[in-house]
Amino acid sequence: MSAYTQAMGSRIAQIVHPLDSKAWLKRRDRVAGPVVRRAQAVGLLDGLAAIGFAAGLAFGADAIANRREPWIFSLCLAGVLAAMLLRALLAYASARMGAEAAAGAKVNLRAELARAVFGGPRRPAGEATTALVEGVEAMDGYFARFLPTRLSAAVLPLLMIAAAAIASPICAAIMLATLIPFIAAMILAGTAAAAESRAQFQALERLSGLFLDRVRALPVVLAFEAEGTTTAALGRSASALAERTLKVLRVAFVSSAALEFFAALSVALVAVYCGFNLLRLLPFPVPEQLDLKRAFFVLALAPEVYAPMRRLAAAYHDRQAAEAAAARLCTFEEPAPAPTVAPLPAAPAIRFEGVTVRYPEADTPAVAGFDLDIPAGAMVALVGASGAGKSSILNLLLGLSPLTEGRILIDGAERPVTAADIAWAGQSPLILPASIADNIALSRRDAPRAEIEAAARDAGLEAALAHRPGGLDFVLDERGSGLSGGERRRLSLARALLKPAPILLLDEPTANLDAVAETQMLTALRRAAQSRTTLIATHSEAVAALADKVVRL
Amino acid sequence: MSSQPSPVDALIRDQKRVHAGNLRLAILSAVVVGAASTLLLGLSGWFIVASAAAGAAGLAAAHAFNVLLPGAAIRLLAILRTASRYGERLAGHAAALRALAAIRPAVFASLAAAPPAESLALSRGEASARLVQDVDAVETRFVRLSAPWSAAAGLGAGLFLAAFAGWAPSLVILTAAGAAILSARALARRYSAPARIAVQTKVGALKDSAAALVSAAAELRAYGLEDWAGQTLNQRAADLEAARLAAARAQGLVLASQAAILGAAVAAAMAAAAPTGAPLAALSALAAAMSVEALSGLAHAFDQDGAAREARDRLNALLRHQPRPASAPLVEAPALTLLDQTLQPGERLAIVGPSGCGKTTLIETLLGLRGEAAQPPRGAFAWLPQDAGLIAGTVRENLRLAAPQASDAALWEVLEDAALADRVRAAPGGLSAYLGDDGERLSGGERRRLALARAYLRTAPWLLLDEPTEGLDPTTEARVIEGLEQRLTRTGQGLLLISHRPAPVRLCDRILRLDETAQEKGPAVAPPGLVVTP
Repeated sequence: MSAYTQAMGSRIAQIVHPLDSKAWLKRRDRVAGPVVRRAQAVGLLDGLAAIGFAAGLAFGADAIANRREPWIFSLCLAGVLAAMLLRALLAYASARMGAEAAAGAKVNLRAELARAVFGGPRRPAGEATTALVEGVEAMDGYFARFLPTRLSAAVLPLLMIAAAAIASPICAAIMLATLIPFIAAMILAGTAAAAESRAQFQALERLSGLFLDRVRALPVVLAFEAEGTTTAALGRSASALAERTLKVLRVAFVSSAALEFFAALSVALVAVYCGFNLLRLLPFPVPEQLDLKRAFFVLALAPEVYAPMRRLAAAYHDRQAAEAAAARLCTFEEPAPAPTVAPLPAAPAIRFEGVTVRYPEADTPAVAGFDLDIPAGAMVALVGASGAGKSSILNLLLGLSPLTEGRILIDGAERPVTAADIAWAGQSPLILPASIADNIALSRRDAPRAEIEAAARDAGLEAALAHRPGGLDFVLDERGSGLSGGERRRLSLARALLKPAPILLLDEPTANLDAVAETQMLTALRRAAQSRTTLIATHSEAVAALADKVVRL
Repeated sequence: MSSQPSPVDALIRDQKRVHAGNLRLAILSAVVVGAASTLLLGLSGWFIVASAAAGAAGLAAAHAFNVLLPGAAIRLLAILRTASRYGERLAGHAAALRALAAIRPAVFASLAAAPPAESLALSRGEASARLVQDVDAVETRFVRLSAPWSAAAGLGAGLFLAAFAGWAPSLVILTAAGAAILSARALARRYSAPARIAVQTKVGALKDSAAALVSAAAELRAYGLEDWAGQTLNQRAADLEAARLAAARAQGLVLASQAAILGAAVAAAMAAAAPTGAPLAALSALAAAMSVEALSGLAHAFDQDGAAREARDRLNALLRHQPRPASAPLVEAPALTLLDQTLQPGERLAIVGPSGCGKTTLIETLLGLRGEAAQPPRGAFAWLPQDAGLIAGTVRENLRLAAPQASDAALWEVLEDAALADRVRAAPGGLSAYLGDDGERLSGGERRRLALARAYLRTAPWLLLDEPTEGLDPTTEARVIEGLEQRLTRTGQGLLLISHRPAPVRLCDRILRLDETAQEKGPAVAPPGLVVTP
């Protein structure tokens, strides 16, 4: 376990850039600004309603004490009720607007991350999926609750103190005097505890990840009868983390105790001062003489000075979650906009010169000093073990793997290859819950029906279509409606056939197929490669035999 | 309902017993917090108004007014509130965190003991929902254990204060508190619970969609579908956002009902106490405000309750299974019966046939990962699965899954036999090198060889190897086969091999051909779909 945590620790150290993640979070604040501001405004209005509530109470008490007309007393009570009804309305509106703000911010974030994940350099699948779902969801509370509360927490205490100053400047001074040491304490405790609690938060997330990983590996755990040892190991890491978390909490709760202390102190001091002032028993001269309604107003306002900060403290967990997520999400950079180049008019010659691919964090380059000359319209097979770099070379043309050294010449020129130039087929294509025709047309959304039919036929899908009701119009369900491995590959090939791009990339088009199924695929592959420059990554000698040239990695 | 507590409740009850000290401390502190908060403000209000009355009555009255007791009480309450708030939070969290550290592994153990048809069908999204969100929802049952006590103490203190002004204000406060609790509970049941449950399901579904899109990255790039992927993801997320909005609206409704009731309670309490004079009217008004406010923790708990209840039901469904002890060590190697073939210990059989004819299914059935319980027990087999099946951890952790006590020397030996020792030696950290999720820092062939080394490490009479050399170049394949052959000769293990490739099949003296007419079955774990039906 310790080795695991150590390794994870070094990994976190590599990933977390507190400054970058802070800047990233700031930028998100700005993007979400307009929507969040409405929710913030609602929070400020709530402060005004709280002042109204305190005033209603104070005038009500005064009305009783000074035996004013009953209608005045009734008016005060009506004011109290109205202020609270307004607060009720605002509470509902704020919850709703917060959620709307979060939904809007998350739509933007998801689109932006999707561009980074699908348009940028390739990331490990688990990391990318987690970023797109858990990462985005971790920001929800931040936009929905933390951001709207933050402004209230900064502004409302001062607003309350200003309102109190109208009734009693000295009480306002007392409130301010408790607020300043509180803020100082927060800053001191906050910066010290923040880093530690952030690390703790990430450790908690890692623990969840650990549990999920062992669930994923459950077939192996069962087969090796390692249920007991795995459970015990999980229990040990969970306990160790619980103890470490408690250490952090002992410090973290000091800040909430400080909040409590200064809030209570503020109420107590205001009450005692007002009482002595009203009794005229203060041992020192003061420039003000309070009456009941002023004193009571200030007292009713005193808890409200700290209430917004209390709400912020309750939303602090949301901020931690967002910061932990930001540390990961800020590593997803949006790719630079694709340069606009005219699509290739015909099958190009492609030349790799001293190409090296090295993934970040990898010990060794995936491809080193690779040279290859592909004449226009030729078919080249890359053969070699998995890990020898076949897929990396294919991915280079898609911009999915990084070109660390060397260059790639298209028709003799260094020119970017765009999506318009490439058709691709692989072993596990994306299956949409839609008709087979729509699934094929994913490669060319406006393709006419006749061409889709031709592509399906040429890819050898006829047998598969024949025994499904509706043929091309058969609607696949989310699991692919039991398409066999071979049928999935043919569907992928049909997509490639449908798109008349001059470069064709085939990634293991026959992996895990038996000899008979493979032979059936060969004809379709040959047809797909016609008048295109084709690059195939394969283990299969039969597929390699189709090629004009075989490169062994 | 049966009188037997459900498994989750039993687990929680055990943990409550273990952490009874902390929980009692949390509850006691919560009672002090609740009472002190109400008393502090109520007493302060009374003190001010009474002072005003005494001050107005002249200097003599002012001097006769006892200022010391209320003043001291106010300061004492302020300190008590602070200390007990700290105690409540720390003790409550200590109990919750420690309890959770025991509950989560128990859930995992139960999951592992479930019939494979159940446990292996769990998608990543669902697993995350059970082990992370559902268990977290249970945490609230510990942290919020003190909420009703704090609420009761606050309410009790409020009633006590209001009683000085007579029965009417007390009755007002009691009525308002009842209304606040009932409305919060009704609103939470009607609106919060379904919305929060929907949020959990939709997150799982979105996760499966995202996984499907990510695994098709190359295809999306080739067809220029990067933006389309983002849009598709957002379309799928629309359901989730709708559920989140509904949950927020429900929470807003609960908060709004509490605020409205508080306003009504304060106005009514003040009016009811008005005949008794200003000091007691002020006291009653503040007591009413603090009493209803003291219930806010409870209202929040109601808001989360539906999800917690649902989580408990789901966990109960999962916790039905008692962990079983590992199978007893085998006295002698069992013979195997496979379809109509019988294999004696030490025999080697290759299973060949077109893809999709059920070879992998056959092996998984043998291991008891499908269908009926394993016969012979799992202890008879060492398995190399088709997808390698590595865990997130180090090389050492992956290997020790097969033999928890194995020494490093034993690990190097099996790595050597799997032709992977050089690679591991070259990696920074060696055996301690962290491999990432599912061994993502290794190539496909390396993953497979590590899984092969793991299978070698297990002392079992039968080796089940599913495509051991797929994805290896001929040189490495030859080395792996040589290592395998030497091992088999040395250990006398029997071999069941699935392969499309001729080289490993040559090791076997018998060949079983499965024909194409055999029914095609998907893998034990289905690939993620773009959307998942709830």
